[in-house]
Amino acid sequence: MKYICQVCGYVYDEEAEGIPFSELPDDWACPMCRAPKNLFEAEEESDDGSAAIAEGPESFEKIPAGVLSAIFSNLARGAEKQYRSDEAGLFRKLSASFSAKAEGTESIEDASTLNSDFLERKLKAVRNAAKNASDRGALRAVTWAEKVARIVGSIIERYMKEGEDLLRYSDVWVCSICGFVYIGPEPTGICPVCKVPGWKFERIEGGDA
Amino acid sequence: MKRIAVRNLRLCTKDCLCLYVCPTGATDTEDSIIDASRCIGCGSCADACPSSAISMVVAEYPPQQRKDKDVCDAVLDAADCRSRLEAMAKKIAAETEEDGLRRLMKAIAMSSRLSSEDLLREGGYMLPQSSVSQDLIHSLIADPPEGFPTAEARELLRRIPCNDREGKKEESYRCSVCFSEFTLDDGEEAACPMCHAPKEKLERL
Repeated sequence: MKYICQVCGYVYDEEAEGIPFSELPDDWACPMCRAPKNLFEAEEESDDGSAAIAEGPESFEKIPAGVLSAIFSNLARGAEKQYRSDEAGLFRKLSASFSAKAEGTESIEDASTLNSDFLERKLKAVRNAAKNASDRGALRAVTWAEKVARIVGSIIERYMKEGEDLLRYSDVWVCSICGFVYIGPEPTGICPVCKVPGWKFERIEGGDA
Repeated sequence: MKRIAVRNLRLCTKDCLCLYVCPTGATDTEDSIIDASRCIGCGSCADACPSSAISMVVAEYPPQQRKDKDVCDAVLDAADCRSRLEAMAKKIAAETEEDGLRRLMKAIAMSSRLSSEDLLREGGYMLPQSSVSQDLIHSLIADPPEGFPTAEARELLRRIPCNDREGKKEESYRCSVCFSEFTLDDGEEAACPMCHAPKEKLERL
């Protein structure tokens, strides 16, 4: 039987490895992207994400501030790609004038719940709509966002279990293209999600938030 | 279609052949960004570059792909969810005393923003030139939220013309009566704006 990493696509072949997947220790992780064991699925059972969802996407009357901020920071990238740095700066000013407000006290458990909601409901809705419209660009974005959210969820879970020990002697890196989060030494290979070279990862500094 | 040269600094090995072959000096700048206003699109620099650091891109971008309304709605909803995680992660990072948790939450905030941006690109906000992007800016100028930089937004609309508005193609004319030159939007009643000469007196340029 073969088991496939749902983040980077790494294949664990029981026959070649000689150890049944179920007998690997619980802290075994994907050798490519460090995804934990529970993010592997047996080859046949691969979920195609087509599980029907009852409700359609809601339509916003007014686009929320946090989304406007991301729309404009994204258009700043669009301007940068066209070598229009002045326009990129103007878009960044528009972006900075909006920000989502976090309400009340937030805990890491809330972050975990919100991440699961994104994975299980919001992204499935995008995937269904994209499939119906045969929109391969949107399907590509969903695929990346799904993998990134899975790894984010697994790291949050590990932090809830291990606490500061998880990060005491490790750096945290983010792929500046797709948002893949990686804990460990400086990445040398390629991003397991979007395949950009390691130098596109950014090291996250502590200090002031 | 007019093209202009752009340089990828990561690939540039400073062999500088582009400086020697450029007929207008557009490749020789203090910030290493090729001067788009001087580039005539001849492609000599891209051909000469031994490290393939120069490529030719279109000067005017084609209209972006049209997006299905359900895809756009679902994308906005998903981006909203991710922006709430971003805000939550930023808040936890700001309030915690733990260095590891702060770094992790900053990473999640950055990651969430990147996912939102990527999804929004596929939900209609790819090109600054698109009517989707431009209509949004117009609507925010018309009814600005608190703190919205209206002057910057107007400047953006002035600098970046829309490239997919139907029926808005401009045509240039010269009036054979008063010799003034002007442009009219496609579909607009053709008449000289200076001397009001009728359509028959106008020459298309």
